[in-house]
Amino acid sequence: MITTKIRAFLLALALSLSALIAVGAPASVQAEECTKTLKIWSFGDVFLPRLILQYKQQNPGICFDIKKSDLDPLNGTQMITACAAANSHTGPDIAAVEIQYSGYWRAYPQCFVDLRTLKRTSDGKSAKELKSLYLPWRFDNGVAYNGNVIGLPTDVGGLEVAYRWDLLKAKGLPYKRAAVSKAISTWPKFIDFGKQYMAKLTKSEKALKMGFLDNAGAIYTAMINQGTKKYYENNGTAAGKLIYSTNPTIKKAYNTTVTALKAGIGTRVAQFSSDWSVGMQKGKFAMMLAPAWMMDYIKQQASATKGKWDIANIPGGGGNQGGTQLTIPTAGNPLNRQAAWDFLSWYVAPEQQKFAFLTYGMFPTTVSLYKDPEVTGFNDPFFNNAPVGKIYSEGVQKLKPIFAGKYDRAIDKEIGAALTRIDVLISKKKAFNALNEWKTAMTNIAKIAK
Amino acid sequence: MSVDQKEQRSKSPRVMFRSSKKSETSTQVGIYSLNGSWAYLLTSPFFILFLIFGLAPIIYCIYIAFYQWDPLDPSMQVYVGVDNFRELWADSNFWIAVRNTFSIWAFSTIPQMFLAIGIASILRNPVLRAATVWRTLLLIPNITSVLAVALVFGQLFGREYGIINYFIGLSGFERVDFVEDTIPGHIAIAVMIIWRWVGYNSLIFLAAMLAIPNELYESASIDGASKWKTFWYVTLPQLKNTITFFLIVGTIGGLQVFAEPLILGGAAGGANRQFSTLTLFLFEQAFINVNWGYGAAIGLAITFIVLIISTINYFITRRIASSDN
Repeated sequence: MITTKIRAFLLALALSLSALIAVGAPASVQAEECTKTLKIWSFGDVFLPRLILQYKQQNPGICFDIKKSDLDPLNGTQMITACAAANSHTGPDIAAVEIQYSGYWRAYPQCFVDLRTLKRTSDGKSAKELKSLYLPWRFDNGVAYNGNVIGLPTDVGGLEVAYRWDLLKAKGLPYKRAAVSKAISTWPKFIDFGKQYMAKLTKSEKALKMGFLDNAGAIYTAMINQGTKKYYENNGTAAGKLIYSTNPTIKKAYNTTVTALKAGIGTRVAQFSSDWSVGMQKGKFAMMLAPAWMMDYIKQQASATKGKWDIANIPGGGGNQGGTQLTIPTAGNPLNRQAAWDFLSWYVAPEQQKFAFLTYGMFPTTVSLYKDPEVTGFNDPFFNNAPVGKIYSEGVQKLKPIFAGKYDRAIDKEIGAALTRIDVLISKKKAFNALNEWKTAMTNIAKIAK
Repeated sequence: MSVDQKEQRSKSPRVMFRSSKKSETSTQVGIYSLNGSWAYLLTSPFFILFLIFGLAPIIYCIYIAFYQWDPLDPSMQVYVGVDNFRELWADSNFWIAVRNTFSIWAFSTIPQMFLAIGIASILRNPVLRAATVWRTLLLIPNITSVLAVALVFGQLFGREYGIINYFIGLSGFERVDFVEDTIPGHIAIAVMIIWRWVGYNSLIFLAAMLAIPNELYESASIDGASKWKTFWYVTLPQLKNTITFFLIVGTIGGLQVFAEPLILGGAAGGANRQFSTLTLFLFEQAFINVNWGYGAAIGLAITFIVLIISTINYFITRRIASSDN
């Protein structure tokens, strides 16, 4: 009996050893020869593995060390630390900056290499020559206060409306693309349309807390990006002039959102929470404001709803949520800057952006693609064959440049909190005072943005 | 002062040192035989690392607490005196953070203590089979990444499709919003903390229980004490010091709660700041509101609170120790 036990043990040992060898083997074979390794700090899916592989094949010897973090730690803390210790040159050679942070980083041109000073090995082009390739307002997100070009845009988060046509049809409402776009052409009409949908919900559907829109708070963000000014005004100074309390666009967006909250058209689930993903699968809401990159997210989260979605134009025309710039921090290795620029400018070139759109739905920032038949003619079967390429390219061209400032995110946070407080009070059927909440937000912001 | 005296002064300490060294080498062996300078060298790695990563940041933090500070822009580094502290004292958000921190601390520490002592008494039972397996299992939550814990519990506590609300709904109650409501939110965070730490603390209590001399239990059983009475009059009094230790460590941990509220409520700790703990408030001010000097002032305020609590703890511990005698 003892011998069988020993035999069993030896067998197990042999099996696990062979498993180890099998796992270890390919890694040792794959050891590549790196003449240069670019250190990249990134988040989410900014760097697509297939494009990286393609670049490696075209440029043997270049290797990548890509570190992915969550967005806020990356742009909010790690890059600040890296820049404060820039002289050690141990930071990243390339770093991805999300659009929410562009206002912040535009205040610190000393943290980045001016991309106008680097010349591409292949054709000697710098960011100055490449500027005309990009959507002007999107290019501006990567221009610092002093005019330095600190980043080039990879994608634009063009914002439109994704909706479940089957749910609208079941309620006898317009459900065809053009008809929906027309029915919700302005924000007040959008809210009315939502009310009609809510009125037709059955009792059991109401008990399941079904609603028209995923989260009515999203209306605020969409509306403030449709103007020409947000929290700051360009007064010629580097910091800009704070106008958040007087800008009518902000107040209007706030009041419209309060109206939508009062109308109860949202389901009150927080975006990117688990409730939200499940709600998407179960048709808990008929509509959501969807940036281009979210199409891929919907496909992954709610694959069973294929063909039941469609895309319509956002009320007010055009919108943006998200998008990324690639930068070359001064904290990186100075000897790698040339290689970093060669790669960066290749990665955001039209051909690569086209690939990223056709495979992952990340919408391009290069204007030539908005006339490219492969992009404009791109229909997505998941979204009922909607011409997503055409819809999104028309939308992003409607937007105007907005002066972004250092405290944009802090201001967003305070006004967003005011809206959530109202939302909670409404859901508990308690009285609320929108003006008081607005004033609280203004007081809090005044403490922060000086 | 004569030359002679000078000579004597400079020599005397050396003589003393030499003599003490002699006595050490003659009487002690092993690690004790090392003379003074070697000991400094061998312990230096800790002190060097502490100077770089401990003391230097603390001094830097005290320094910038008196400034309006931007680490990346020297032109935005302005001396403001005690303005940051004055502002902090008047800032209602700071007091909300203090309230939240202590509320979460109370919800997590007190139930955890009862749970940990309960689990330890079960594990202490000699009839229990495979004791090592149980003890090891208890430690697994402790080595799980706090971020993963927060994400998974965030799903369990979801308002619409969370499994906890599913059972609450089944039993006929109104669904609880663990994110937007203050007290349920604090309970949700306390549950995450308890889940991570209760196993670890059970082992601490178990170790303390195993150290209680068996004679005490034997005499208790001879006197005819019931199990409950044995626990109350024999086990618990012997755990006094361990409970104090648990409370001190729990308080320090309670003042550092950060990742769980960040995941549930974002940097501001929710719309009503219901999750804004002290450390999260510091993070929000420094990194989101770009107000580093103010953040540093909050850091010092946390240190001050820790000092107060430590002092209270110190006196309680002393009282317990003296009552033992």
